[in-house]
Amino acid sequence: MDNPVGLAYLGAGLGSGLAIIGGGLGIGKLAASAMEGIARQPSAAGEVRGAMIVAAGLIEGATLFALVIMILLVIK
Amino acid sequence: MIFGAWILAVALASSPQHEAAKEVSTPSPAGATSPSDHPQESGESPAQILMHHVTDQAEYRPFGLPIAFPTKHMFFLLAVMALVIGVARVAIASYRNGAPRGVGSVVETLVAYVRDEIAEKSIGHGEGAKYTPLLLSFFFFILFAALFGLLPFSATSTGNLSVTFALAFISFAAQQYAGMSKYGVVGHFKNLVPHGLPGPLLVVMIPIEFLGMFTKPFALMIRLFANMLAGHMMIAALLMLVPLCYPISQTLGIVMIPISLGMALFIMCLEVLVAFIQAYVFTLFSAMFIGMYAHPSH
Repeated sequence: MDNPVGLAYLGAGLGSGLAIIGGGLGIGKLAASAMEGIARQPSAAGEVRGAMIVAAGLIEGATLFALVIMILLVIK
Repeated sequence: MIFGAWILAVALASSPQHEAAKEVSTPSPAGATSPSDHPQESGESPAQILMHHVTDQAEYRPFGLPIAFPTKHMFFLLAVMALVIGVARVAIASYRNGAPRGVGSVVETLVAYVRDEIAEKSIGHGEGAKYTPLLLSFFFFILFAALFGLLPFSATSTGNLSVTFALAFISFAAQQYAGMSKYGVVGHFKNLVPHGLPGPLLVVMIPIEFLGMFTKPFALMIRLFANMLAGHMMIAALLMLVPLCYPISQTLGIVMIPISLGMALFIMCLEVLVAFIQAYVFTLFSAMFIGMYAHPSH
């Protein structure tokens, strides 16, 4: 524990990377399924897109919670 | 309701920074006269310049005007407020001669979309009309604030946690109002959990649903704030690549100029998209949560 501030930076960097991995995987999987759904049923494209944005917003919200914690770590 | 929202947002945005402004100006009277808008000239580190761009500043003088506003974000909050009212007035005026033209037809498309696709579908037919004005003011305020922030020498007022807190608080109040006006205060809290659940489940469900009441607007607050802040931080960080690379090697610094500008331009274009998406998402989630309390599961 020579430099606790340095460790906070390290934690913030690693943590934000991990949060982005999770969020990226989630939204990627969601988009893949939505694409598949639209390809199978092009007439439902509008509804699928709307539902996709809602779910993407919720995933994004959880990721942003993590990122806000990282910002708090960096600027403390 | 709309004006109450703005007054609350203005009050929240101004209060903490206004105190900070006093603290800064009291020890050094010279600090009040020298404008702190040019950190590059005072030789600050790139990180400080980056934070300077995205955080609020006490005592903001827009475009070197003699009038000073309490904070930067408060000035742009008021500017966007005036813009929203102005655009609404112009849109209304364009209806005088039959079919709307120009600004009016653009606004009409967005208004009809919010009314039919967001309010009516999420809150319910007939009931959606009651909340449409509130949702529209959310939509246009967030959209214009984000787009206004992309202009040179300006800032995004929704990139301030106090402003998004005020917006989320109004959304929270509307959600509670939707439940309470329909079922009464007691009925509203009874509706938080589905009726007829077994006793042991209630022990778990009641705290979860009660917390959920507050985490929903909290998520709205954080989502909008983080999205607005992240885009601007990213643009500033990409533009900072040049001064960061130049001390390492002059060639690297010069090579970095087109790369940095190109990437910043890309993020800037993305920000235009994000402005629409965030306005849509905030409005949609507010409508969904209002609908959730107006039509509880039972």
